[in-house]
Amino acid sequence: MEVPEKIKFLGDLVKEVHSIKPNRIVLEIDKENIRKAFELLLGNLGDTGFYLAVIVGTDHPDKNKISLDYYVITHPDKEVYILRTWLPRDDPRVPSVVDILPAALSGECETYDLLGILFEGNPYLKRGFFVSPDIYEKGIYPLRKDAKV
Amino acid sequence: MPGPSLLKEVLQRFFSKPVTIQYPFESTDVEKDLRGKHYADLSKCIGCSLCAIECPADAIVMEKLPEDKKPKQNPRGLYPVINYGLCVFCYRCVTVCPVKAFITTDDYHLASPTKLDSRDITLKTLLEKKG
Amino acid sequence: MAVTKVVEIPVTLEIPIGPQHPALHEPLMLKVYADGEEVVKVDINTGYNHRGIEKLCERNSFYRNIFICGRVCGICNTVHANCYVRAVEYLMDIDPPKRAKYLRVLAMELERIHSHLIINAIMAEILGFDTLFMYIMRDREKIMKAKEILTGNRVLADYMMVGGVRRDIDSVKKDRLLNIINIIEGDIKRYIKIFETDDTITKRLMSVGVIKPSQITKYGLLGPIARGSNIKIDVRMGDKYDAYDEIPFNVIVRKEMDSWARMMVRWEETIESINMCRYVLEHLPSDGPAVPDERRLPRRFPAGESFARVEAPRGELTYYINSVGRQVPYRVKIRTPSFNNIINSGFSYIGYSIADVPVILTSYDPCIACMERAVVTNVKRGTRKSVSLKQLAKGGV
Repeated sequence: MEVPEKIKFLGDLVKEVHSIKPNRIVLEIDKENIRKAFELLLGNLGDTGFYLAVIVGTDHPDKNKISLDYYVITHPDKEVYILRTWLPRDDPRVPSVVDILPAALSGECETYDLLGILFEGNPYLKRGFFVSPDIYEKGIYPLRKDAKV
Repeated sequence: MPGPSLLKEVLQRFFSKPVTIQYPFESTDVEKDLRGKHYADLSKCIGCSLCAIECPADAIVMEKLPEDKKPKQNPRGLYPVINYGLCVFCYRCVTVCPVKAFITTDDYHLASPTKLDSRDITLKTLLEKKG
Repeated sequence: MAVTKVVEIPVTLEIPIGPQHPALHEPLMLKVYADGEEVVKVDINTGYNHRGIEKLCERNSFYRNIFICGRVCGICNTVHANCYVRAVEYLMDIDPPKRAKYLRVLAMELERIHSHLIINAIMAEILGFDTLFMYIMRDREKIMKAKEILTGNRVLADYMMVGGVRRDIDSVKKDRLLNIINIIEGDIKRYIKIFETDDTITKRLMSVGVIKPSQITKYGLLGPIARGSNIKIDVRMGDKYDAYDEIPFNVIVRKEMDSWARMMVRWEETIESINMCRYVLEHLPSDGPAVPDERRLPRRFPAGESFARVEAPRGELTYYINSVGRQVPYRVKIRTPSFNNIINSGFSYIGYSIADVPVILTSYDPCIACMERAVVTNVKRGTRKSVSLKQLAKGGV
């Protein structure tokens, strides 16, 4: 599938394009290029051209990876684009984008607390953001598939 | 410029009957198809346990009927008992039953100091048919 | 004689404002650092395990999840169930008949009216205008009666099902609903006039909590907050899900960017919702059965991922479902609008006085009504005093 016209400037960072229902385009990007992708989006679409809606992390123990999705919705034409990266399961780290896009604060804190993905450069990460103390004291990340809660 | 004032309505309401329904002394009017207390009709139940499998709150437990009272459409002899304390009244059991064996009412007076379940009222439906 | 230097250390008060909400939005604590009466820094702490629902959804079948996800939020339970059901329908490529889509819109718009009435009543109560609070709550009872006629229950309407809705309406019910809607419209127009002209409200709300449009998209704020600052975002116009491509309506946008604009956006949206409900009731199509037979729905769902969004009364609500072909989903991700609105908005309190903080927080619509306590620590004297949020709003400490 082709990179859509509106975000053609992301072209050389994208490894693969496919779609999920109902016709939302997914672009696969390496984890080192996430910051550059957001800088390009801010530069080309402007401050009020898009907003970051959701950050979703999913644990895939069979592939030994964790997938991380950033959902970007443009304004005013309301297209949904998904930037997806894959992180190794035993050491999931990714550079944080909270200084250039403060909307990522809530999503990154939640994903760190529930799945254990470390966003480097985010000073607000802490355990206990959502999870209660009797679980995080044992070092468990509740949304991983092998966690028993 | 001052807009519409509530003062006139406040003075009117001061002298008229309160809007609140004084509950234990007056009754509230509810719809006839309010989702209230429901129980199984044993003359139709076939004991398939679909209601217990589908309940999102796990409020239905299947219990065994005494041997001499098994109706002929229920070979396994199981009947559902609903625990009204756990029930959320979503009526999933009512809509998923293959023989439409649930009786629904609009009774919502279900607060009680002891555990309340549907065993007695369900077993009564069996006795009425037999007796 | 030695000259002593006098260093003045400002006395700061640390005020935690903690609405605890077990059932509704993310309960959180705002730690407000104030210098005299002016706010200098706000820390937002969360710490209550609200997300147990996502793990719970991975253990129950797709149908049980409809009822579980409908109980994430008490006030917007219809939109949660609708978003989940639509995400499942996208997975299976099912399109429900038009009559079912129109009835879904009716239930969601009735819920939007009752949610906007409750937040405006709470705003009136926080300002101390208790009479208006009581009158709005009395009129809200009529909407709850309308929901009872339509769905069978006043608040938790378990109304959505894969492939349609769970109950249909006949002409008797339709007339009763039209009657209620016509009565409510007159009341709401009167309240709008009060909000525009009454001094109690305008002096407390205007120019408080101003957020510029570029800050809205950078910080990811949604719903009436964005529409009160001239950013026209509305999922009903963007995605045109269910029957919104056939029902005419306007997206309300205001330019003033303060708390007053946000409350006025909500009142005007209520009028739009009333018009939409009337259109639905007068133009209900009858092209197919609105209620699917729940005994014949499939048990296993195909593998795939889907993403659905819906316009809840507070903003944009999204559901992401990942399924691998079994009877239970592999991953369900819920992102409620208050998650973005409340946690990302710590920057907007700075520079206003302490008595403005509850007003700004209420204009973001977090539903403080259930339980709130604020503890004021006077650092200089070392004393602690408990005050309620209402007292804080009435005049600071």
